[in-house]
Amino acid sequence: MHELLLFASVPIHQHAELLQQLAGLTAMQPRHCYERRLIFKAYRKPGVANARVGASQDLQSGDLQRVNKMLNGGMFYTQVVGPIQSTDFADPSVTATANANPDPNPNASPLDPDTDTKMDGMDSDSNIPRSAYDFDQQSWQLEFRDIPEAGTRSAVTSRVMATAALPRGDIVPSMNAWGYSFVTEYLVEGDMFIHNDIVINLHRVLHYPTIPGEETQPRHQIPALQQMAPLEKSGSYVLQASMTVHDGSNQETMKTASQHLFGLREQLKSAVRLEMADRLSLDTRVK
Amino acid sequence: MATLTNDQIKVLEQSRQRLAQLTRSLGSLIASLNQSDPLPPWSSLQSQASIISNNLISVSEQLSDHRDLLSTLVAYPGPEYPGRTQANTLEQLLRTKLDPRVEDWVERGRIAGTEHQPTDTFAIAPSLAASAAQKKLTEADLAKLWEWAPIEANEEARRRNWGGNFTLEEREAGIQNVVTGLRKQLEDDEEDEDEDDEDEEEEGEDEMEIVGVHRKSGGNGVEFDIAPHHAHPVQPVVPLSDILRYMTTGRMA
Repeated sequence: MHELLLFASVPIHQHAELLQQLAGLTAMQPRHCYERRLIFKAYRKPGVANARVGASQDLQSGDLQRVNKMLNGGMFYTQVVGPIQSTDFADPSVTATANANPDPNPNASPLDPDTDTKMDGMDSDSNIPRSAYDFDQQSWQLEFRDIPEAGTRSAVTSRVMATAALPRGDIVPSMNAWGYSFVTEYLVEGDMFIHNDIVINLHRVLHYPTIPGEETQPRHQIPALQQMAPLEKSGSYVLQASMTVHDGSNQETMKTASQHLFGLREQLKSAVRLEMADRLSLDTRVK
Repeated sequence: MATLTNDQIKVLEQSRQRLAQLTRSLGSLIASLNQSDPLPPWSSLQSQASIISNNLISVSEQLSDHRDLLSTLVAYPGPEYPGRTQANTLEQLLRTKLDPRVEDWVERGRIAGTEHQPTDTFAIAPSLAASAAQKKLTEADLAKLWEWAPIEANEEARRRNWGGNFTLEEREAGIQNVVTGLRKQLEDDEEDEDEDDEDEEEEGEDEMEIVGVHRKSGGNGVEFDIAPHHAHPVQPVVPLSDILRYMTTGRMA
């Protein structure tokens, strides 16, 4: 599948206005969503056989070629995305030490949080509030995005994409088994609109409050929303208009899709400038 | 006095049928207005009105097409007419003048017709004439009204202290009684104003939206620059490409 995209940076003072303009344009109320995004990075496992045959490639069978490509082809960053509810955020009035509720995480002993929970990167020492968020029930989706196509003549970002559902709960072991290591995670907060065949996201990246030793694992608890800090200090948002094309090799549909995106860009011209993104900023290859 | 030919009888019969159709559609409109509560949807009223208007057109065409014949016809009772039992109908048929009520309608229709269109073909149709009787403003009156209105509206506007969502009258009567028709809850910002009056005034000026207008490069029409002017502009510090880079790889550089 292919994905066509346009981006715009939206300063914070324009955010409320743009929300209303988009609601008017799309004739729908904004759908507020929160997403946990975990970033994984592919690594080459030691001991993987290099199946490259020295002779001409024509001699390789189709299967062998494919395996070779998968093993030796480029390695990519992938994202694991999990939607969460606003109720999953911790209540800022209840702190972890004062929390009398049993810990939803079965790996951590509720009676003795100080000894056991650090293993999972829990934050029982600090005063980070807890919620009823159940990490083991968190649903995940793997999102692979290729680096945007180079040298496209049309002024939209276009890239190969694929998504797949993942098992619930802790996905790090599965990802490790597939040759991916956890890099970092952040939260995306924003609103979504649907305009005909275009998905419009107006979102921003939020950082978790940093606790030393937490970065090696996806966190099992979600702090209060108030404690999250925007990546962009002024609080600005990113407007992303995206469209998915099933058959990216069909020039006709790709053209129609970008025409639709241009139509939207034209409609929003007086409010924001939608542009294609810098290709290298969306580079998912591991270097 | 010659008896009617077959063709002439046919003409009379056609006129009767068209008039009957007209009365039927008028009757159904009246019935639907009287009986349905709430009123029928506008689309059904609209379609009924267009049916009636079509009927009127066909009646008026019929009448004007055979004007010569119809104006020379004279009705008189034949010897076999049941004059005793149908005395009322007989009287109606033998009238030489119109019913006073009908006379009024026709008069109104004539006046309206001469005002709007010299060919008053519809003057015969009473219902149309009645609706046209509502007087329209002449050009001169309209011009006078346009001259008067902006000044008057401006003066009326100056008399009021603008700002806030409610008028003084509305506030005195209790803002909870105001029917705004809005689902959104309007704030009554009068209280804030009392607290920090100077601030409010300054902010009020700031909050006026300055909208840039320029001609569309393509041709006709104007464009509004909504975004670039804002009271408290906060430009993003981190460039978009860095945000996107962070979102894809978890690193800024």
